[in-house]
Amino acid sequence: MSPQLTLQTPIQLPPEEIPSYLEQLWSNDKPGKTGSNTFSLLVWQPAWIEQELIRTKRLSGPIMGTHYQELIEAAKEVILEKDLPHSTAPFDKSVLTSLVSTQTSKATDKEDLRGQHIDAAISELQPRRLITLAPTLKKDHALETLVAAYCPLPEEGGNSTCGDAVVMRGDLKSLIKGLKFLKELVPSELPSWMWWNGSLDECTELLDQLAIPSRRLIIDTALGEPAHCLNFLQQKIKADQAVNDLNWLRLRTWRETLAMVFDPPHRREALNNVVQVDIDIEGDHPVQGLLLISWIANRLNWTLKESRKGEMGSYESKFEKDGQTINFHLIPLPIGNPGINPGQIVGLRMICKADDERNSVCIILGAESGECMRLEAGGMASMKLLEEVVPIQTASLEMDVARLLSTSRGTTSPLLANAAPTAAKLFKLANN
Amino acid sequence: MNVPITNPFRIGLRQERVIPPQCLVIFGASGDLTHRKLIPALFELFKQRRLPSEFAVLGCARRAWTDNDFRQKMSIALADKVKEDPQAWEQFSSLLFYESVDLQNRETISKLSIRLEEIDRLCATHGNRTFYLSVSPKFYGSGCQAIAEAGLLNDPKRSRVVIEKPFGRDFSSAQSLNRLVQHYGQENQIFRIDHYLGKETVQNILVLRFANAIFEPIWNRNYISSVQITASETVGVEERAGYYETSGALRDMVQNHLTQMLAITAMEPPGHFDPEAIRNEKAKVLQAARLANELEPWKCCIRGQYGKGGTKNFPLLGYREEPGVNPNSTTETYVAMKLFIENWRWQGVPFYIRTGKRLAKRISEVVLTFREAPVHLFDSAGGTPTSNQLILRIQPDEGATFRFDVKSPGSGMRSRPVEMEFSYDESFGEPSDEGYVRLLADAMLNDTTLFTRSDEVEAAWRLYTPLLELIEDSPWQLPIYPYESRTWGPAEADNLLAKDNLLWRRP
Repeated sequence: MSPQLTLQTPIQLPPEEIPSYLEQLWSNDKPGKTGSNTFSLLVWQPAWIEQELIRTKRLSGPIMGTHYQELIEAAKEVILEKDLPHSTAPFDKSVLTSLVSTQTSKATDKEDLRGQHIDAAISELQPRRLITLAPTLKKDHALETLVAAYCPLPEEGGNSTCGDAVVMRGDLKSLIKGLKFLKELVPSELPSWMWWNGSLDECTELLDQLAIPSRRLIIDTALGEPAHCLNFLQQKIKADQAVNDLNWLRLRTWRETLAMVFDPPHRREALNNVVQVDIDIEGDHPVQGLLLISWIANRLNWTLKESRKGEMGSYESKFEKDGQTINFHLIPLPIGNPGINPGQIVGLRMICKADDERNSVCIILGAESGECMRLEAGGMASMKLLEEVVPIQTASLEMDVARLLSTSRGTTSPLLANAAPTAAKLFKLANN
Repeated sequence: MNVPITNPFRIGLRQERVIPPQCLVIFGASGDLTHRKLIPALFELFKQRRLPSEFAVLGCARRAWTDNDFRQKMSIALADKVKEDPQAWEQFSSLLFYESVDLQNRETISKLSIRLEEIDRLCATHGNRTFYLSVSPKFYGSGCQAIAEAGLLNDPKRSRVVIEKPFGRDFSSAQSLNRLVQHYGQENQIFRIDHYLGKETVQNILVLRFANAIFEPIWNRNYISSVQITASETVGVEERAGYYETSGALRDMVQNHLTQMLAITAMEPPGHFDPEAIRNEKAKVLQAARLANELEPWKCCIRGQYGKGGTKNFPLLGYREEPGVNPNSTTETYVAMKLFIENWRWQGVPFYIRTGKRLAKRISEVVLTFREAPVHLFDSAGGTPTSNQLILRIQPDEGATFRFDVKSPGSGMRSRPVEMEFSYDESFGEPSDEGYVRLLADAMLNDTTLFTRSDEVEAAWRLYTPLLELIEDSPWQLPIYPYESRTWGPAEADNLLAKDNLLWRRP
């Protein structure tokens, strides 16, 4: 890993002067300084909850724009204090709503470091340009633009290829106004990414302007109204725009573990006898669970037949293959100490019933052993059991984004592209 | 209902690193290796969606082919694979280009630079290039020189050279070649390929050792009594007589493939999984390796040459009768030897290595034999107590077997050995990629982990120098023992182990 060093303290310049400043910075007449030839990353970094926690004096600042531990703890305290359901994820919209309505005595300005601290996982990929859009809570905050160059520590014998970071800060109105400068700031010759690090149903006007077809998108369908998230995802896939979903990426350990169960060829016959799949999620955001069942259905060529909302926000659907019905239940669980991502899957049960009872099998994947025991209930323990504990992911948001940046081919994953329409259809049928 | 042949959940699941935009330049593109290994490996990477859309392959050789000639030749050579997926081939072959280049001719090299710039513009490959020297070893040095003098190696982050084996003929030639290539490029730009390291099962030795807490504590002289490393082939010299006559089994197999297996089996755990950390440990263990008797190497090394064999209906020629082989050839087609590794972990543990052509079975494996139990409480059903063995099968039937004693059923208390099996086929059910797929991808990703560093290559040659000198100066001291085709080599090789009260494992 190459730690990044800022070559200079970020300097504030009028937005119209930044392109010429950057051009001069990387001009070829300065030996030893070369701009890296990789990609540009545009980040929408609202950090609304962090800003609100600082405004309400639950955090002391500065504003970082990352998910650090004190921030998570402070958000969890708000959940208790405001009597929100215990299964509320710390970055759920309801946490923000309850904070917005909190009055405080005179607010003091805190240092805002968004876009100035580059996470090592991302800097290792040597982005050519990082542009951060940092909206502020303060109204009438005119557009401020900061710029800084950074370089990796020179490795032994290697050339240093550097990048630069631009921060555009201001209230929403001024940021929208400032978008006219973006065109010149995003290098046209390099792949351009846009990471919407916020809810998909906020500032939709800005989102539409940033998510232009030439940009590769990074979104998180766990943030925002499920219907909106699934629609947005489906629209972009339909339009053939490269879209990468962090909520889908976080499913990788579930998909890998399920694949691992069926790696031994002798187990694969059971896939013809699946009669039921149950997925348990934390809280009530169903998108991740729906994406997982849709991926399973696509891989096994199941057709969605019907879907309806059940009790307590559950989903009950039926798939069909070769005349055989497969029942699906998505069950939201009231978990006391949920993870930071809404609707995170905690368990999966797949029941495969063969004509010969001895060949019936129940596959249980659980995020923890207690969950496995819950799914064993109802006579499943008498079947042949294949149980796996799915590792809990500890990767930070930035590490997940870096993973997407380094593994994406610049197109939407075909697996996601196939799963998203099924998930959207299942959701729509159930909610109509 | 049909049982799925492939695991439906596995399809598209691998999150491999994406190869950055680049042009792969193959020198020797009209040669055997290009159509047998390199282009098939690249086509496989293409089908796995691992190649970026900004990608090109530029084949270079002296023949005056056009881009279309090159595409057509490759399509004929890969006919079976093309037939399986003609659409994918059509897309892939559009990435193939050709330029007539003579590495000894400056004029054609400057033409190459111009062509590469054209390809950069056409395919957006950003000046990022991997040069693959699939040429005669005598052109490795001058090839690097030509590429470097054309300024094509100036940027160490965006240019690299892959060099095929053999890297040198002995210690001094390897050292000179290292100096030469390092003069034209930095060490981290040089990728010395050994396709054995691309094998899933060889890499699995690292995972088995360093991802499981149960093996490492017993992976040393206190618990292991001996190690055998075998790479046997059933085929003879085939069409490679010209090369093989100047090389022999020692240079062709032992110095590279078997020594790499030895290094991976015996190395210390690296601090982290990082190319330099791993290569440091491999180099260190090779520097600690010695022939069991350096002063009298004939006492620890047996050379052999296959003779006639087969059946009346399927007779097999002896090596000296093969086309292109000198009828009085003294080239070895079989080598067996005993080594020691002089460090804390392995002091006193013999490592036996053997390789040969026309042996009874095609197999590559590493066998670790553990020390016997200190007290034998039980009678053994087989008469003598057996030692525990861990057998790592590199190919075929990839997997591992652990042999240990259990109670033989019945009223007595007799022990007998049983085997605990792990098979890639049974656990994963799908064939792993060819070594070249992995290694080409790694080179294009600038990842040197599975490539040999200069000090490793030199240490490997230095290890066998007493043998090479003996073969050169007084070959009669290291005679060639004949063996019948499709047997397990000369009887003298069995005696090498018999002196230590051991037997070669008969796989």
